[in-house]
Amino acid sequence: MAVLARRLDTQFPLLEAPQSPTPVKPPRMVESDALRNLRASLEASIVAKLTSGSELIRAVARQRREEMLPTTIEPLDLLLGGGLARGKMTEIAGRGTRFSIVIATLAATTSIGEAAALIDAGDSFDPQLAEAAGVDLQRLLWVRPHTMKETVTAAEMIGATGFQLVIIDIGTRRPPGRRVPDATWVRLARVAESHGATILVSAPYALTGTTSEAMVLAHAPRARWLGNANAPRVLAGIETRLKLEKHRRLRPGQTTTVFFRCEEAVGCQLPAVGSVVIPRADTRQPTARKAS
Amino acid sequence: MTRLACFYVPMFVLAARLRSEPDLLNEALGIVEGNGNNAHIVAATRRARKKGIHPGLSLTQARSLLPKLIARSRDSECERTAQEALLEVAETFSPRVEDAAEGIVFLDVTGMERHFADGPTDSDNGQPTTDNPSPDLRLARAAIRACDAISLPARVGIAASKLAARVAAELPKSPTVVAPGEEAIFLAPLPLTRLSPELEAAAMLHRFGLSSIGDLAKLPESEIASRLGEVGRELHWAARGIDPRPLMPRPMPPEFREGMELEWPLVALEPFLFIANAALDRLAKRMEIQGFACKRLEFTLTLDPEGYDARGIDMPAPTRDVKTMLTLMRLDLEKTPPGAPVAGFSFVAHPDRPRRAQLSLFGPTAVSPEKLATTIAKLISILGEGRVGMPMTVDGHLPERYAIDDYSPPPPPDVRRTPARARGLLAVRTFRPPIPIEVTTREMEGDDVQIASIRSLAEVSATPAPPTPNSRPRVEAGGKIEIAGTVRICSGPWRVEEGWWVDRPDIREYWDIELERGGVYRVFRGNATDWFVDARYEM
Repeated sequence: MAVLARRLDTQFPLLEAPQSPTPVKPPRMVESDALRNLRASLEASIVAKLTSGSELIRAVARQRREEMLPTTIEPLDLLLGGGLARGKMTEIAGRGTRFSIVIATLAATTSIGEAAALIDAGDSFDPQLAEAAGVDLQRLLWVRPHTMKETVTAAEMIGATGFQLVIIDIGTRRPPGRRVPDATWVRLARVAESHGATILVSAPYALTGTTSEAMVLAHAPRARWLGNANAPRVLAGIETRLKLEKHRRLRPGQTTTVFFRCEEAVGCQLPAVGSVVIPRADTRQPTARKAS
Repeated sequence: MTRLACFYVPMFVLAARLRSEPDLLNEALGIVEGNGNNAHIVAATRRARKKGIHPGLSLTQARSLLPKLIARSRDSECERTAQEALLEVAETFSPRVEDAAEGIVFLDVTGMERHFADGPTDSDNGQPTTDNPSPDLRLARAAIRACDAISLPARVGIAASKLAARVAAELPKSPTVVAPGEEAIFLAPLPLTRLSPELEAAAMLHRFGLSSIGDLAKLPESEIASRLGEVGRELHWAARGIDPRPLMPRPMPPEFREGMELEWPLVALEPFLFIANAALDRLAKRMEIQGFACKRLEFTLTLDPEGYDARGIDMPAPTRDVKTMLTLMRLDLEKTPPGAPVAGFSFVAHPDRPRRAQLSLFGPTAVSPEKLATTIAKLISILGEGRVGMPMTVDGHLPERYAIDDYSPPPPPDVRRTPARARGLLAVRTFRPPIPIEVTTREMEGDDVQIASIRSLAEVSATPAPPTPNSRPRVEAGGKIEIAGTVRICSGPWRVEEGWWVDRPDIREYWDIELERGGVYRVFRGNATDWFVDARYEM
């Protein structure tokens, strides 16, 4: 019996509720600030689906393509819904301060450390002025083609190389040579799409047709001078009206005014500009929205 | 103990030719030396040898045996590049390499056995084998594989002396490794012809009744020397595995060469580029073995009937991309054709270390240095020098000053930054060169001068359009902009002076003017009171 009892003694504890093992603490996540910021920047729906590093990299690449590249000209960014669409082609046509927009976009892109290329078909780029406007010249590739064909060829090659921003500036007149076929612009748009490059075309007249994501018309430039007729005059700057002629995601017809000032006029009191006027669909009566 | 390896390429003349024309490997091919009646076969492929073609036959005799024999003359350029390729492969194993003869390379592999002590390097498919080969054998097999990669069927022998290593390499069952101190035992059963004795000495040894190396080694050295002289003494040493000749390493070559003599002169670009593509491919592979990339490509075309055309292409960055080099070559030849049929070519690549870049996960994407170099090289070849690069400012006061430099952007930041707010400065479009204009001025109070009207002197039209308030500058496709009209507002002058320390300093007076018909320009008056428009504010 004693033996049996001992056996029972040894067996009774087995009938009790098993002692649960000590839970192992999950390893503390070591996450760098950069990775945390990266996760925070992604949408919650995307983050929930991420299971591996490669998916994270793909999601980041996708997110980057959906991002906008700001020109840092607030009225223009507002007009374009945040800036130039990455992986798309945007066109600015007409007269006015197109080149000033180009320089400001170059300054914005190079300031965030991205590589930019300016295909200067008019050979009118001034490095001194660009540096004063904030362009990091070390990150800028300056290409000066002779003909229109060379211009689009250079843009295609540079876009496929991995540059984040490619700007084609036609100048004030069309470069010599034959007109390039419309299929060229289709090919250029595909290069932008496949390599995630932002292409900005600045031309005196519309070139890209239906291939561009957005088209802004610059018109009605007006010079502003400081001083009156009897006093010495100083050129304060030039204001231009911009009209969104076409956009694949936004309603066209919005207008705004941008003003670029001369360096001598920096600090002078000048009237504020930059409100975006949105036409109403039914009555076509404009309503105003402040830029900032 | 010193360990030497010998790379031996049998029928090197044929192997070098087949390396350039691999399609002929399975054909009945004979390599011919000499011209006319003196033309004779020096090497032949297996298919030709089966039909009775052997070295020494005249070309006529060979043709009578095999009418469809493909005959190729010896190509010194092919043989030279094949020899260089063999040497470069040897240099990947050891820095001490001797160029002994055509298709024969010695290298010092002392201490190399540690690199081949173990690992799955002893079989072609990377799978470990059941036997356990020695480190020397692994090294030899790796060398054979490396030679195969450059299309040279080499045999390898490893021994303690150059003679034993060469004899081991010449044996058909390759690789052959002679254990340290066993050179005499290895050589003993081999026939005396393996020592390549002179004809007289060979005949005398034959009369002595000696057939193997071991028979010679058994005889007293003094007796052999008394009968055959110094030649006999050397032969006796060789038979005992003694080779006093040291390894004589060659200096590192400063450049890589590839070339070929063509069977017939080429008159079209495409066939030439087809052949050049294969040569550049071989060149790129050889540079890859050494870890180099091409910084400058020089190529010399042998013209028919005589003359040479030497050219050089500087790469914007070191590259091994064959397509890029070929494109640049095509553009160069299209721009300035050689002017005569091309009968041969020689490519020389100047090596440099390739650029490397560390890509960022969180910051902006960096442009691949290799791709960038390729693109810039292509752009320069299309647009010309000075049309592509990084813009630079130049010290000085004159606004048109600029410089252009090679584009080499700094690495992007690790973390994405916020874009800096634009300064909103007005940009001007610079005219290069400035446009000369005719200016009408009006006197103001004091010494002030104001501009009343301007007219472009470079304008084709002699009579400018009448200025009307509503008219705008006409923009013509491919034409000139009309810069003419009455000035509405004038601002200036601003004086700019540069070079005050020279006899004739550059003094200019700048004005900003707005025309009645539209358009804001920057004009200046130079030293000689000539007027120019040098920029346009966009309107």
